Amino acid sequence: MTSGTLQGMTQDSMMTKTDPQAAKIPEVALAVRNLNFYYGENHALHDISVDFQARRVTAMIGPSGCGKSTLLRIFNRMYDLYPGQRATGEVMFDGRNILDHDLDLNILRARVGMVFQKPTPFPMSIYDNIAFGVRLHEKLNKADMDARVQDVLTRVALWNEVRDRLNAPASGLSGGQQQRLCIARSIATRPEVLLLDEPTSALDPISTARIEELLDELKEEFTIAIVTHNMQQAARCADQVAFFYMGRLIEVDSADRMFTNPKQQQTQDYITGRFG
Amino acid sequence: MADRSHIVKSYEQELGQLRSMMAQMGGIVENQVALALSAIADRNEEAADAAARQDPEVDQLEREVEGLSIRLLALRSPMAGDLREIVAALKITGDLERIGDYASSIARRSLRIRMPENQISLSGLRSMGRLVQENLRRSIDAITQQDSNRAMEVWHSDRAVDEYYTALFRELVTYMMEDARNIRACTELLFIAKNLERIGDHATNIAERVFYAVTGDNLPSLRPRGGPASALTVTETMQEPDVR
Repeated sequence: MTSGTLQGMTQDSMMTKTDPQAAKIPEVALAVRNLNFYYGENHALHDISVDFQARRVTAMIGPSGCGKSTLLRIFNRMYDLYPGQRATGEVMFDGRNILDHDLDLNILRARVGMVFQKPTPFPMSIYDNIAFGVRLHEKLNKADMDARVQDVLTRVALWNEVRDRLNAPASGLSGGQQQRLCIARSIATRPEVLLLDEPTSALDPISTARIEELLDELKEEFTIAIVTHNMQQAARCADQVAFFYMGRLIEVDSADRMFTNPKQQQTQDYITGRFG
Repeated sequence: MADRSHIVKSYEQELGQLRSMMAQMGGIVENQVALALSAIADRNEEAADAAARQDPEVDQLEREVEGLSIRLLALRSPMAGDLREIVAALKITGDLERIGDYASSIARRSLRIRMPENQISLSGLRSMGRLVQENLRRSIDAITQQDSNRAMEVWHSDRAVDEYYTALFRELVTYMMEDARNIRACTELLFIAKNLERIGDHATNIAERVFYAVTGDNLPSLRPRGGPASALTVTETMQEPDVR
């Protein structure tokens, strides 16, 4: 399914390949254990332990500053880009701790894709937006690359809208189309995990519905973690929901139970709008 | 349901309005049942008329509760305890409306009974009526106070209502077998007993819905039952009443 294995995911073996069929995906894709995170002196996440089930959508909800986006950004080691930020504990992914210093981040980020709040197309053509990331990890001939581009654009339901203008700049697409392009770009490198940080907050309801429908299809293949402030979106899209407050995981349960009968009073107060 | 007020005041006000309408509807229906029982016990025609006259008001409140519940579902997207409370209200209002209908039916039948002198005792029916009335009162208290313990009491008590009905069925059938002139009055009384038993069932439905709304858990699907076999010796000519 992907371009590398975390078991040997070190600098020395960054291009190690596995047989896609041989790599059996575990039921738990990401196992977070006793995770703490610090922005300098600020202790942002406190002792988080939670499982992200494979090929399921896990939504993270909570008020601003609760740590949900921080957790998402740990999963592809984005925090490494900023000095003074550090994590302790474990995030087990395919038998390796994502937090290990000798982990190859290029391979990690190919296997753990990310989509942001605002669409971030590269300043290049629609075609190259997809091909750019693929070229970093795989050497495909023109025909195979064309097929990959068509495949991912079809899966994000964008192919019919852009097939005649693949060489046009991606910036000419609408916001919803750009976000679908970004999702296509993320899945083009064939990751196992897809991280989405408020992916529809800048989109209109129709574009939002298209993305939500897309998530429903993508979860057959990918483990999806989504941060959202939209409670209805979490209820519609997620199989599992985790509620965070002030850097702590308050409750995690199936979406059904979280939105009909949460166990913790803080969760109940937050999702019914009685918070603060 | 939740202890704290909603951040959006108008949402909190609408939830308050829903609770107030439920309490009002419960109060009217409780009164209807009291009037219907008085109509039987005291041969009180005025009470019978008063019980029936309140039906349109109950029907109107049912429509208003439904309208407000649908509005809340559509516009507020309620979650968790709020969602359970609104869905429970939508169902409870149907139960209350049915109870009102049964009370009216009892009141109307009470006027048609021509009781043969000193032959038929109404004490069993009165006792059953008092228990049903008590269960209804407790289930309405459970609604207004969001009290799952009170709801549980009603749920357990439904068994006694069923046992009363089973015993009454036997008693009334016996009167009819003894003297054919009792048949007309006893048939009316049987219908009244059945209506009371159904009111008891709806009071138990309400208790179950309140329990779910408050706790998020369902009471067991099988209610405690007073089985006919425990209260009645079944003969070839006397079929067991269906108290399900």
